[in-house]
Amino acid sequence: MTPILERHLNLLDYALTSLWRRRLKNAGIMMVFAAVIFLVASFQMLTRGLIDVSEKILTEVPDIVIQKMSAGRQEAIPLDYRERLDDIFGILKVVPRIWGYYFDETNGANYTVMALELDAMPASSQLGRAVIGEVPSNNLNGGIVLGQTVLGNLHLGGRRTFSLFRPDLSLKPLRVVGEFNPATEIMTADLILMSLADGRDLFDMPPEVVTDYCIYVANPAEVGTIARKIAARLPDTRVLTKPQIQKTYQVIFGWRSGFASICLLTALVAFAILAWDKASGLSPEEKREIGILKVIGWQTSDILALRFWESLVVSGLAFLVGCLGAYGHVLFFSGSLFRPILLGWSVIHPSLTIIPVIGGDDLLLIFTFTVVPYMAATVIPAWRSSIVPPEAAIK
Amino acid sequence: MFLNPWSLNLTLCAVIVLFLVGTAAKTAVRVLLYWDPSSDSNRQIRLEAETWLSATLVEYALLIQVLTLLLFVIAADRFSQMISGAMCATGTLTANAYGIPDLLIKLVGSFLYGFWILFHRIDISSERYPLVRFKFIFLLGLVPVILVDMVLQTLFLANLKPDIITSCCSVVFGDEGGGGRGNLLTGSDPQATLIAFYGLAGAIIMTGICFLWQTLGKVRRLVTGGLSGIFSLEWAGFLVVSLAAITTVFSSYIYAMPYHHCPFCIIKSEYGCIGIFIYAALLAGAFFGLSVGVVEPFAGMDDVAQTIRRYRRGAVLLSLVLLIIFTGLSSYHLLLYRLTGGA
Repeated sequence: MTPILERHLNLLDYALTSLWRRRLKNAGIMMVFAAVIFLVASFQMLTRGLIDVSEKILTEVPDIVIQKMSAGRQEAIPLDYRERLDDIFGILKVVPRIWGYYFDETNGANYTVMALELDAMPASSQLGRAVIGEVPSNNLNGGIVLGQTVLGNLHLGGRRTFSLFRPDLSLKPLRVVGEFNPATEIMTADLILMSLADGRDLFDMPPEVVTDYCIYVANPAEVGTIARKIAARLPDTRVLTKPQIQKTYQVIFGWRSGFASICLLTALVAFAILAWDKASGLSPEEKREIGILKVIGWQTSDILALRFWESLVVSGLAFLVGCLGAYGHVLFFSGSLFRPILLGWSVIHPSLTIIPVIGGDDLLLIFTFTVVPYMAATVIPAWRSSIVPPEAAIK
Repeated sequence: MFLNPWSLNLTLCAVIVLFLVGTAAKTAVRVLLYWDPSSDSNRQIRLEAETWLSATLVEYALLIQVLTLLLFVIAADRFSQMISGAMCATGTLTANAYGIPDLLIKLVGSFLYGFWILFHRIDISSERYPLVRFKFIFLLGLVPVILVDMVLQTLFLANLKPDIITSCCSVVFGDEGGGGRGNLLTGSDPQATLIAFYGLAGAIIMTGICFLWQTLGKVRRLVTGGLSGIFSLEWAGFLVVSLAAITTVFSSYIYAMPYHHCPFCIIKSEYGCIGIFIYAALLAGAFFGLSVGVVEPFAGMDDVAQTIRRYRRGAVLLSLVLLIIFTGLSSYHLLLYRLTGGA
């Protein structure tokens, strides 16, 4: 074994015994530090998990969505706009859609209503395949498919029929013909799927308009070009592409997580001050110990290395405890402490299971965000303690 | 784009490095003003103790800087998912004029901190601290490097504009056509780069062996100095050529895609993080290789001559081992392709 390695192993050995001797003080610091790391790591894992889940959902989003804008707000788009897109090469399907929210006064929840002709969608679309039971036909017959959470909220019991209110408060009879597979909960929890004709009837929309168009493109590499052509052809519309929506989700989760990090920074600074303070206040025994070490031939550099190992062991343990705690928090409790901050608030939440995704890069992020400030906060007190003169042992 | 955990973290690390080196620089000023080896006053004893503090602080700063370097590249890769037209770290770093300069200054900074630690180690090996003034002037020189790094990083982050859907009616389209802003090094000839790469690697090994051989016998210092100078110059050239070779030649073989030339994606886990090992071997090898020449001006000082001689022997040997590891790792996919005809 090389002498350098041997020296550090011996120092580590001494550091461990010295930490054990003052276990109460060190365990206290470690637990507070672990709590700070737990908060930071929970956020990071939750953000990463949510980005992952949102990426999975967004694979189901149409390649392009067209919405008509008027005075900066979205309004219904006429059906004849569709003819103006006919000769754009590369468009696979144009699917008109009525898409909106239905507020259920009995339990204060908002359901998402989506009405479209399912057989007009490309075969690659997953929506039809997610249905257990029948798919609503194109006719005005009240056949609907419900998401699992809506199904639970409506308390239907064994019944298959119920009614929703039209805007004029007349009742629209509906019949449950199928339900969404619970595995698709995150995208279908609050969803009611029906035919375009039923949707128009429920929202009392005129026959010549829909809320938006879903456009499916044959070659994903052409999405940008086709979107640009559509925007030129229909200047009064907003054209949203799938990649753009994906980037927006990334930015939003990143932004919210960054905002939370700023809030956690205060906890981190408070902890760094605590660590500094704890490391600065040398007890008479500690002074004596360093004095004795100096008398028996230890150098300043040895004591600095000893302190480095002590800090590394404390922060390493806290890092392990904090990260494991955060992993459990996200896996078993779906990050319930922070989920509202990242997801937003709503009565109906999909009961999604977030699998904490953690890579080496995330661990590096958490490590540099927590352990580096701790090490930096303890280095100057460590030096102060290392220059205690040998006479301190005799006093 | 500051409100993002990666940006915040990079800024936090930069502030910590500035704090550490700034505190060390305070000692540097006091040492330059009051250092007097012949005195045994309280101030002198305290100054001697403070040199230990500054050494520790710079060591910590180096450690953080190396971590930041990795963090910076990973963050750039993560940002590419939000920046229009960027597909990987290359796209993000070239998204504005500050990315690549900041990366280079971080790299140069890491080498400079490393050299400072080396000077400190050589200095304390002698009881008379012969390099004390030099090393603290050098330390003061590090402060502007850190400040430039910090400014460039802040400008880089501030000028990153994420491609998000705005609530107005207009359409925001990214630069979809490019997919990254081309290669970092366009127009270089892969064949010539490879010849330079293997040629320089061979030259370094030859010079290194000559150096090690001559240290066994009694050769004049002039020869040793000349050889160490050549060795370092070769390493400096090799570092530049290697970075070009990784970008233009080796990376495509690692990705198994002829048109993907990116020096950063190789550090991703999709490619077994091979890039981390490649860069670690290259940068550590280059550090030891360059340090052989950097210590040359002090090789004649009686106090530290013995230490420097011992250090240089170790550094040359270590840099040769790292060179072989680096060349092997980076050429592995190329050789595999040439020998087995590809996947």
